[in-house]
Amino acid sequence: MSVSMRRIGLVAARDYKATITSRGFLIGLLIMPAMVVIFAVLMPKILNSRSPQVAGEVMVIDPTGKVGAELTQTVAPASIELRRSMATGQNPAAPPGQTQPTPAAAPAVGPPIPRLSLVTLPADTDVSDHKSWLIQPRNATPQHLAIVVVRPDAVVPRPQATAFGNFDLYTSVRIDDNTETTLRDSVRAALIAARLRNAGQDPDAIARDQQVTQPESVVMSATGQRSGSRLFARILPFACGVLIFMGVMMGGSGLMTSTVEEKSNRVIEVLLAAVSPLELMYGKLLGQLGLGLTLMGVYLVLSVYTLGQYSLAVLLDPMLIVYLLAFYIVTYMVFGSLMLTIGAAVNQMAEAQSFMGPLVILLVVGYSMTGIIGQAPNSTFSVAMSFIPPINTFAMMGRIASSAPPPAWQVWATLGVSCVAVAAVVWFAAKVFKIGLLMHGKPPSIATLIQWARMA
Amino acid sequence: MTAALELQGIRKTFGAKVAIESLDLSIPRGATYGLIGPSGAGKTTAIRMIMSILFPDRGNISVLGQGSALQAKDRIGYLPEERGSYRKMTVGAFLTYMGCLKGRTRAQVNGRADRLLGRLGLPDVATKKCEDLSKGMLQRVQFVAAIVNEPDLLILDEPFGGLDPVSVRLLREVIAEEQQRGATIIFSTHVMAHAEELCQQIVMIHQGRKVLDEAMSGLRRQYDTRHIMLEPLDANANLLTLQSVPGVENVKLNDEGCEVRLVQGTDPGGAMRAIAAIVAPARIELARIRLEDVFIRLVGASGAAEESQQALRTHLQGLSTTGATS
Repeated sequence: MSVSMRRIGLVAARDYKATITSRGFLIGLLIMPAMVVIFAVLMPKILNSRSPQVAGEVMVIDPTGKVGAELTQTVAPASIELRRSMATGQNPAAPPGQTQPTPAAAPAVGPPIPRLSLVTLPADTDVSDHKSWLIQPRNATPQHLAIVVVRPDAVVPRPQATAFGNFDLYTSVRIDDNTETTLRDSVRAALIAARLRNAGQDPDAIARDQQVTQPESVVMSATGQRSGSRLFARILPFACGVLIFMGVMMGGSGLMTSTVEEKSNRVIEVLLAAVSPLELMYGKLLGQLGLGLTLMGVYLVLSVYTLGQYSLAVLLDPMLIVYLLAFYIVTYMVFGSLMLTIGAAVNQMAEAQSFMGPLVILLVVGYSMTGIIGQAPNSTFSVAMSFIPPINTFAMMGRIASSAPPPAWQVWATLGVSCVAVAAVVWFAAKVFKIGLLMHGKPPSIATLIQWARMA
Repeated sequence: MTAALELQGIRKTFGAKVAIESLDLSIPRGATYGLIGPSGAGKTTAIRMIMSILFPDRGNISVLGQGSALQAKDRIGYLPEERGSYRKMTVGAFLTYMGCLKGRTRAQVNGRADRLLGRLGLPDVATKKCEDLSKGMLQRVQFVAAIVNEPDLLILDEPFGGLDPVSVRLLREVIAEEQQRGATIIFSTHVMAHAEELCQQIVMIHQGRKVLDEAMSGLRRQYDTRHIMLEPLDANANLLTLQSVPGVENVKLNDEGCEVRLVQGTDPGGAMRAIAAIVAPARIELARIRLEDVFIRLVGASGAAEESQQALRTHLQGLSTTGATS
């Protein structure tokens, strides 16, 4: 049966225009960038600004006589900041034991550094007599935060023992998680420093020896070399999966909603007087495909711009964008056609939910696994998933975006398998669409949809 | 010249139910056909097959010389019974969209749409959203959408339902204009008065089969019952005396006067003069068969009507009243 490209174009243009100017689309378009901004930029600031700096006293009972002195240094704010910098992968310009960081050591992102004052008790103090020190009225100052009890063998192990002793920590009910973690890290650093000094070594020198500046890797390929970033390589597969998911959900749900609306508005028969069911279906698919591509285009531009701000845009291979768009189109055609079928089969959006559930689960599984597959792009699981439609496109996209992309023949094979899946699903959708459009009343079951496909 | 529409041996089933059986129909170009029949008779199914929205299990359909309506959609106007519009679209955009889908340019559509909207009493609605219009206004807009492409074949399914009398008149005038322009019109309705008034030929479908395909003029002759309706000038006149007039079979009194039935072969003109000589008439006329009566006879004669004749008559009269006054 011949179809008119002119009519398909008109239907596509109307659907595209109607959706892109709707409030729902604009909200959908902006929600992801807004979430990224909130989580990546604003959320840490909001969390930090809401956490007041903690100041209080920590009681220390040190039978070794060596840890307390080290602890005085390791609880100093500058030392804490330095350790945080190292933990987050920044390259400190000073060793961890140093109390005064150089100006080059940028403050690490994180909660405020607590101001801890030490109250040192005699070595033979029984902690049982002082546990009540931690129980205070709510607004008492200074706050009693914790008692650190260093074990006698924490610096010099007992004879015949192979391990050092540890320390015990008693805390107030009011100590927050950040302060307790900071205190634990400080005690640990003090214990290590005391042990090293006891062994006749210089902890500062050892810390300096342990410093290794992490270089950016340079990726070599037949086409030349480029900078690499491990974090970027980890995030990219997942980001590609999310982009495909967002585009398919936006376009597919638009297809379903507009079809249900046309049925419930009874405009469908008016349309069918002017276009054939196939022209209507192709037009709608094309219109919402354009919408998804617009959405992805906006996200890609924003992503490239953001990467450019951090001088990371060079890490993005242009072919990756081409593959992303190609795999988006085939994924959309499969899931969009199925969502269109659902729209044609039901009478109201509420009836569509039961059909939509499995599709959304498949899509979520698809994009969720891109991150995992990106970590092991050439494992048997990853390769096998690349050829099992309908979520093979997510798997392959995860592999392409990983640090070890698959051979080209596998990419083309995945595209080929996907195209076969598209043909099969569009064939099924066309059959059901033709019959479902004029059906009203009880929503059909899956078996009925299959029966319609056989009837048409 | 080929017929505007040709149906040959059409059969359509939905599962075990036979919706249309052996339907043959030929409609010449420029004709106005009325498609009547009780609810569920198969009218809408037949129209949907003509429009290639549904496809027959068997038989051939030729539309405007083409193998199916799909090849002639640009030349067809269709106003379905279940009609809608895009609620968020403006009337102008909706009409432009429908016209362009049917092969017209934006400029052609806009000019004709403006003229038709004005003709139907809606000169200022082009910029309004469809959802802001009343039901009657929207129905007129939908009618404009059906004819905005100047169709050669116009199919109207219950076009007057829900319209006020003024709108009904406006629509009838525009339909008549389309007819004069040369369009072939198929008009499906329950309202017999409309079918009688607008159609040259009546096709009745009952239980999926064509049970009538006659010109209105032929119907009137075929089903002439030789009844004379009399309304006396004097309300107290003794109408039963008319029993003695030669050729009168019986006299049946009613609220307005009486209905006189003549013996077969009696000259109605002579009988009317004789009656007028006995009882001075305020109104005297030869009763003409109404399409409603034909409908009742055919449906009743089949012996399979779901509704009794009286119930069906009441139903049809109700529809007539609704169509004329709502």
